[in-house]
Amino acid sequence: MSIVALDPTGRSGAAGGSGGPGASDPAPRTLAPRPDSLAGARLGLVVNGLGHSERFLDALAAELGDLAALDGVVKVVKAGVSVPPDPGDWSRLTEGATVAITGFGG
Amino acid sequence: MAPSEPGPAVPPTARVEWPDEEAFREDAHARGWTDGLPVVPATPDRVAACLAAAGLAPGVVLGTVPTREVTVTAEVAAANAVMAGCRPEHFPVVAAAVRAHLDEYGNCHSTTGTLSGAAHAVIVNGPVATEIGVASGAGCLGPGFRANASIGRALRLVIRNACRAVPGELDRATFSWPLRYSFCFAEDETVPGWRPLHVQRGFSPGQSAVTVHSVMRMISAWDSSSRTPEGVLDTLVAETRVHGMSGDAFLGDGINVVYVMGKEHQRFFVEAGWTKERMQEYLWPRLTAPTAGPRDRWTNLGAPANILVVAAGGAGMAETWILFPHLARAVTRPVEWGTVAP
Repeated sequence: MSIVALDPTGRSGAAGGSGGPGASDPAPRTLAPRPDSLAGARLGLVVNGLGHSERFLDALAAELGDLAALDGVVKVVKAGVSVPPDPGDWSRLTEGATVAITGFGG
Repeated sequence: MAPSEPGPAVPPTARVEWPDEEAFREDAHARGWTDGLPVVPATPDRVAACLAAAGLAPGVVLGTVPTREVTVTAEVAAANAVMAGCRPEHFPVVAAAVRAHLDEYGNCHSTTGTLSGAAHAVIVNGPVATEIGVASGAGCLGPGFRANASIGRALRLVIRNACRAVPGELDRATFSWPLRYSFCFAEDETVPGWRPLHVQRGFSPGQSAVTVHSVMRMISAWDSSSRTPEGVLDTLVAETRVHGMSGDAFLGDGINVVYVMGKEHQRFFVEAGWTKERMQEYLWPRLTAPTAGPRDRWTNLGAPANILVVAAGGAGMAETWILFPHLARAVTRPVEWGTVAP
């Protein structure tokens, strides 16, 4: 005898499901194209505030600066280690940086 | 209680068909819907029974995870509760736990994605604990109790399936740990002179409530020598300060620590007439005093009330378990019943 059960992910478009967006269907996303070069780029740094993350990203930016002629660095240090950057910092990044680097852990 | 208002329109959860239950069980593993153990099919009838028990319409939103674009409806939570082995009368507790966890200060994104592999303790208070059999006595932190096991597991399956905390994906735990299978227990509310946790947090004794506390580490403070309240509490302070607590500006001074105190420690406080509030007042200045060295770490507890003392466990071992927080506050939510009484 066949059995019918609910998809526990909340995604109604899951394989075998009824299709269409569900309560937890994420918005479609695509990766931004990778830049061919960092020459002239404004480098964004998103520092999570844990451990030595700021020192590490500063050193990484300096290394990248030696490899390519960057147009500058936009550094964001998150106000809280466990939450995303605040809206003002997002604006600084999206409006002022060409590429951005972040990481997790500390 | 009439079913809650459905809230914003949310599409219904998908139904999937399998040839038989064995096919379902195997496919649930293949789809990544389980914690590695078998799950019960969340049939529409079983899910509906859970929703009726809590008086919730399917589309009621229990919470969201904005960073993951996740919305958790009552129906999705009920599906995971059934899969975890819950009976319908367990679901009001699960729904309250999901709401607590998905509170902004429950910080789902951080506590389920963290490298540290934090777990989540579900602490049940009020009449519901007895009514549905959530254990608070001997062995209550371990296996052997259906309500404890299935309610704690239900929250974990919601975290995995609905909130997408899958190991190696959004769950970035270095080791993770066994408490992430299930961690639920009730408070023993029979200790003379002690106000239950939910009453300390603003609920009436006749109400039932669930407190969800993120647990970054859990350590036993074993002390079979002390014979006074001060002696036991000094041991708790010393054991807590070996590790300390990390904070976050986001949480302000709202972080909590939980002490699950067993009977062999409780009795010194009862004999001396100490309330929980007196314990909190004794502990707080000692826990927050400046550090005296590398193995004596500060804790960032904002007030005595941030120290949560919970009575549980059986006789014999003179210990209290310390539940250190991850980056979240302990959040308490009421248990709300629908049309089905336990």
